[in-house]
Amino acid sequence: MVLVTVELPPGATLEQAAHALGLAEDEVDTGYGLVPLDPARGLYALRVTEEAGRRVPPAAGPYADPTIEPYGPPS
Amino acid sequence: MRVLIQLRPSPDVIAAVAAPDVATTTADVTGGLPGVALDHSYVPVALPRPRPAAGGDPLSMHQPLDFSLAPEDASVLVRGEISDDEGAARAALLPAQSDVVAVYADPVIETSLTCGGSPPVGTWEDVARLLAVPALAAEGYDGAGVPLAICDTGINAAHVGQRLGRSCTVDGERSWNPGGVSGEPGRFAVDHGTMCAFDALIAAPAATLIDIPVLLSRRQGGSAMDGLLSDAVAAFAHLRTVLDAQPAGSRSLVVSNSWGSFSPLWDLAPGQPGNYSDNAAHPFNIIVGSLEQAGADILFAAGNCGSECKDRRCAFPARPIVGANSHPQVLSVAGVDTNGERVGYSSQGPGRLSDRKPDIAAYTHFAGSRAFGDTEPDSGTSAACPVAAGLVAAIRTRWPASRLSPSQLRTLLHRTADDRSTVGFDYDYGYGIADPAALIEALRKVSGSRE
Repeated sequence: MVLVTVELPPGATLEQAAHALGLAEDEVDTGYGLVPLDPARGLYALRVTEEAGRRVPPAAGPYADPTIEPYGPPS
Repeated sequence: MRVLIQLRPSPDVIAAVAAPDVATTTADVTGGLPGVALDHSYVPVALPRPRPAAGGDPLSMHQPLDFSLAPEDASVLVRGEISDDEGAARAALLPAQSDVVAVYADPVIETSLTCGGSPPVGTWEDVARLLAVPALAAEGYDGAGVPLAICDTGINAAHVGQRLGRSCTVDGERSWNPGGVSGEPGRFAVDHGTMCAFDALIAAPAATLIDIPVLLSRRQGGSAMDGLLSDAVAAFAHLRTVLDAQPAGSRSLVVSNSWGSFSPLWDLAPGQPGNYSDNAAHPFNIIVGSLEQAGADILFAAGNCGSECKDRRCAFPARPIVGANSHPQVLSVAGVDTNGERVGYSSQGPGRLSDRKPDIAAYTHFAGSRAFGDTEPDSGTSAACPVAAGLVAAIRTRWPASRLSPSQLRTLLHRTADDRSTVGFDYDYGYGIADPAALIEALRKVSGSRE
């Protein structure tokens, strides 16, 4: 899975985001949903399959979703 | 950057420096060098010139040598400091100045740097004393009413309360679990997040904890003790709702993040549009900026990839303060022990999104929560970050974001930090060790200027 972004009006739904990006429902992580990044810009993020991520417009991504780990105790 | 500067002043000055019965000072040797803060407490040292035996190679040090302190041969060493921002360039240009022969690094030499396996240095009570917690409390800075989010592995409130000797408050309503993570706020297994909660409450004993176990994610690609950045994106979106639900005039939210990305393997390469480590346009870096702009104080651990004893997981070949840990709108926290010495594993700047990282240093490697066993310290910049977050939460008791923006508070923390160099910012300690007493005094002045 990768992250992609989309600009939509306030209150947008995951279905609207998938439609705007030309993605099918089974290409989208529905459990993750549509996450507002910057309400002032109407910018949202969603998780999609790597294949779907390759098809979205360049401005939408795809973006890396790296593993994050605790910074301690040092080993 | 501390440096030794080799000078060749006039022979009579060299003779005076070399003479054991003549007292000389740096001012006798040089009137000053551009961009160098000379250390006038350092007594100039005469440096003999190595000379090969007759017929030897004049450019080789690998042969029998004689050493001459004769004024026409010798030179003089003085000590100074160059700003980290321009260290390499200035060191290269200085030899163009008259009298300057060369500029050399003057690294810190220590006998016992605190590293990952070192025993605790002091206790959490020492940290409370160093943070001037009684003085903070006397001024009404105890964190009462301030939400303090611990984004980590979950909090065990019973353990925190037992170790602190008082109860702690976890706000279940405003806490949040990533998808697929079960467990109730404040009731997670004792682990890294419990240590962070304990350390945050040292300076802000009355703060309200918000439990965000983002590192317990079980999404595809995750494991038992790590998460995915996409869950942190979702967590920060939740925290935005926590912030926006508060009255605008009294709004505050402190977010402590003792985690990061150790390796570029899970990332796209720097320069690619989807990269995280070096890319301000990555969705997580955007939401960090957006949440800060809305009034949240966001703190990140600088990381445990310091040059002297880095964590074995560190895989970035250079500049290990990456992604949001180096975001210009967060406070990036380095670690010092209770003696005020940087711990050897604390990551050094410059940062990847913003050069001037870390911002400040805070205490770590002390006996505290016992989250990892009775004899194990609260360690890593993982502990330093919530220690600093607690200080920020304490200040927010009387200074909501509407009175003092997150940016203004960061600037005050920079200005009041106990500088560990002589030139202000450096890549080891940032602007210095967080200094609550100086911060209180600065806030008094801000308050007075607004009345």
